[in-house]
Amino acid sequence: MLLACGGYPEPHDALSAAQAEVKGAEVGGANENPKAALHVKLAKDQIDKAQKLMGDDNEEAERLLIRAQADADLALAIAKEAKAQNDAAEASEQVGKLRKEMSK
Amino acid sequence: MMRRSTRFSSVRVSGLYAAGPLLLASLSALLMACGGPAIPPQELNDARAAYAEAAKGPAADLAPAQLDTAKVALAAADDNFAKDGPSEKTKDLAYIAQRRAELAAADGGREKADRKRAAADKDFKNAQIAGLEGYQKTKEALAAEKAARVEAERKAAAAMASLNEIAKVKEETRGVVITLSGSVLFATGKSDLLPIAKEKLNQVAKALTDQGFKSIVVQGYTDSVGSASDNEALSMRRAQSVRDYLVTKGVPSEKATAEGKGASNPVASNSTPDGRAENRRVEIVVTPEK
Repeated sequence: MLLACGGYPEPHDALSAAQAEVKGAEVGGANENPKAALHVKLAKDQIDKAQKLMGDDNEEAERLLIRAQADADLALAIAKEAKAQNDAAEASEQVGKLRKEMSK
Repeated sequence: MMRRSTRFSSVRVSGLYAAGPLLLASLSALLMACGGPAIPPQELNDARAAYAEAAKGPAADLAPAQLDTAKVALAAADDNFAKDGPSEKTKDLAYIAQRRAELAAADGGREKADRKRAAADKDFKNAQIAGLEGYQKTKEALAAEKAARVEAERKAAAAMASLNEIAKVKEETRGVVITLSGSVLFATGKSDLLPIAKEKLNQVAKALTDQGFKSIVVQGYTDSVGSASDNEALSMRRAQSVRDYLVTKGVPSEKATAEGKGASNPVASNSTPDGRAENRRVEIVVTPEK
């Protein structure tokens, strides 16, 4: 892997993309759901590692960043799913309440 | 940099058989591998399992594009495994494929939940509308009831007013007393109703049935001319005659009775013709409904 120093460019684009996606997942509520939060953490850990590797092993850093993006994407999707399920359950509950109210 | 490609300890061989369609790729990987069978890395097994799971779920219908992305990502990982075994590159591709599959599953789940929610929202609206309609109906029923009550009161008042034109109507402690002059009801000494009397009694019957009442007592009175027993007998026959006629006009017979009072309770002097005329009368005492 040392031959990576031979000219593999520093993965700046991958880094900012991964960071942006983590941000997006967090804004999307990923930290409120345990599974989503796990993937946010995985993404952040890999971004940290990648930043430390930048300059020394750019290829490895890029690998990690691509993984981090996949984790951040997934975190957001899980958070959105959880929110949608929550909303659906709440809506069903409202219907139940209204029906109960009306049958009084 | 340490590579982890030699770590196989956590490989689940059973994963090989879990993904039927992918077996071919796995077999070719096994055949190709030099120096022994290549066992797929954990990441690849996980990716295959995640894809199989996602394909079973709602993603197949509700997030087909994401599921296809996952399929492509898994195929890339499988291809790479077939080419160069459980390399770092294979693991990366598998790692990403697994997440793509889980993302497809999550998107499918989200879409399913969104639909459930939309259906619930629709139910909620419909229930609200049904509730409003129910409320509206209750309101209409109350308004109709009130209108009916107002109408009944108006009818009763009209009935009383019409009675006032043909008879004296007075409220006393014993009830509402309707007094009809004997001269308009009967010929002298007779207890058969005159035709004009029937017209008046029709109005009385109508007023009574319109207004409603608990009971009536028809009381006949005479002046003091003649014997008391004759007078009582005559007043009784006349009262009975009026009572019977009212019953034929809709007054419930069980609520109506007749009494002959003779010359008792005069309302005027029996010493003048006018006074005697006033004393010859029929009173209908109405006990109102409680």
